[in-house]
Amino acid sequence: MKVAELLAQRRADWQQLEREIDQLQARRRQMTADRATRFAELYRAACADLARADAWQLPPRTVQYLHRLVGRAHNQLYRSRTFNFAVWGRVLLHEVPRRIVREPCVQLAFLLFWGVFFASAFLAFSPATWPNYAEQMLTTAGIEQLETSFANPLAGRELQDDVVMTSLYIRHNTSIGLKCFAGGLLVIPGVFITLFNAAYLGAAFGYMARPEVVEGVHFFEFVTAHGPFELTAIVLSAGAGFRLGVAWLAPGRLCRLASLRRAAEEAMPVMGAAMSLFFLAALIEGFISPAALPWGVKLAVALFSAAVLVFYLVFLGSQRSGADAVG
Amino acid sequence: MAASTSQIDTTIQIVTPENIAFDYQVAGPFRRWPAYLLDLAARFGLLLVIMVAASLLDWLGAGALAVAGILLVWFLLEWFYGGFFESYWNGQTPGKWLLGIRVLTIHGQPINALQAVMRNVLRTVDMYPLISLQVLGDLPPVYLFPTFFLGLVVMSSNRRFQRLGDLVCGTMVVSEERPWWTGMVQGEDPRAALLAELLPADMSISPDMARTLASYVERRGGFTAARRREIARHLGIPLTRQLGLPDDTSEDLLLCALYHRAFIGAAHENGWRRSGG
Repeated sequence: MKVAELLAQRRADWQQLEREIDQLQARRRQMTADRATRFAELYRAACADLARADAWQLPPRTVQYLHRLVGRAHNQLYRSRTFNFAVWGRVLLHEVPRRIVREPCVQLAFLLFWGVFFASAFLAFSPATWPNYAEQMLTTAGIEQLETSFANPLAGRELQDDVVMTSLYIRHNTSIGLKCFAGGLLVIPGVFITLFNAAYLGAAFGYMARPEVVEGVHFFEFVTAHGPFELTAIVLSAGAGFRLGVAWLAPGRLCRLASLRRAAEEAMPVMGAAMSLFFLAALIEGFISPAALPWGVKLAVALFSAAVLVFYLVFLGSQRSGADAVG
Repeated sequence: MAASTSQIDTTIQIVTPENIAFDYQVAGPFRRWPAYLLDLAARFGLLLVIMVAASLLDWLGAGALAVAGILLVWFLLEWFYGGFFESYWNGQTPGKWLLGIRVLTIHGQPINALQAVMRNVLRTVDMYPLISLQVLGDLPPVYLFPTFFLGLVVMSSNRRFQRLGDLVCGTMVVSEERPWWTGMVQGEDPRAALLAELLPADMSISPDMARTLASYVERRGGFTAARRREIARHLGIPLTRQLGLPDDTSEDLLLCALYHRAFIGAAHENGWRRSGG
């Protein structure tokens, strides 16, 4: 049989496959079983034609046509998996805490963040060691802004202001966390963002703790409730980011790319946990922290969230799954 | 196909579960950049729509909810627009859909939601270095302009055009062109069929020769007569001598006749194996 006859014979099938692809592409309506079977049949037939293209000596353009046709059909047959929230929930509750506890990068981020935080807080608190440290770190304008924000006792706000501020915190704080995470891939930006945040927050805490700063009382009353979740979330984003950077700097026995890919699978769920914490922290920061509640209530909220974190990291984190016990 | 895989080209070969190898065309920066810009425009458009809806809400007296809604939508669009669409639209965002490109794993399989979200979050790093717009004049220091320089450098240093986010997630972007049907070239020159009849009936055409003939005939429509002669003479002159045809036979016509014999003409079977063998 001549190629021209062969093409004429096969062309009807290829055209039908093209039409099916177009329909699938345009709207993903529910396919009937018949049509799905027919689609798979046509796809396999086109694959077979492509495989025999050399033996049949099809002209180059027809081969190119077949490559494109099979490629498009392949992309419609094998579709992306969407979010599976049940699986993600299980990952967040079971795998992530174990990973966080055992991950050296998270421990490094923890030490780095809190070390710099306390050092900076001490320098800002006592002007004797480094005069003007607080002014240099926070800038004079920043200090003024801090002082005016907390000049008055927390008297609560309208509920609608709470709603607005909560979404502002969600957007602002989670964005910082995500930038810190992504920057970790290049190591230097990640370390820089982490250190800067630790130093800045530490300086603010240290400065506000000075006895002569009267606004400090209101400041500490404000930050108590959401502190545990927010600061932990920052450390987790930084740690997940470091994991990416370390993956290609010290790949171990894998090649750098494979090591990066594995790190990505491990780091993204940790970042997911961090985002959830940012979200919770923003809710507390928006609704509870500025409210005119007695300080004891806010302290109770802080202790409760700390207890939740301890439960999450220590209890869930030390659990052994069956696979771990065997391996 | 053996010839095409060794070419320096932007194709990636994929072996499917059906054990078929086929080629994908990898999409380069000049295909992906417009898609990104379109997505950026779509994001702004969506935000504007939300703002209009919010102003309606504000008018109804729920101003705070409106502002909160805008802030949340802004956050979600900024970080999860790409991840959302790429997971639900089978590796495409609206911009990618318009440009006909799609995200796949490097093994040609569909991406999962984790990869979709992560490669979009990591775009932050591909945007580096950020340039402060203060160099242009007296602007607040918050406006940072992404240069995408790092992403471009990384893309051009690997053969799948992967940016950093793609490398980390093991994904690539392929262009998915709608195939156009060409079929066989027929009826360009009626004399070709006549000349094909005059060729010796026992003449066999090797696979290499058939491929060469197809490459020539499929493209000859775009050449001038002089150019056709120039290209066709390399094969045409030796063949004219071998077949004992008159010296003034047009080489171009001879190649068309051979093409006709090889692919179209049903007159003789000359050692051609049957299909489906």
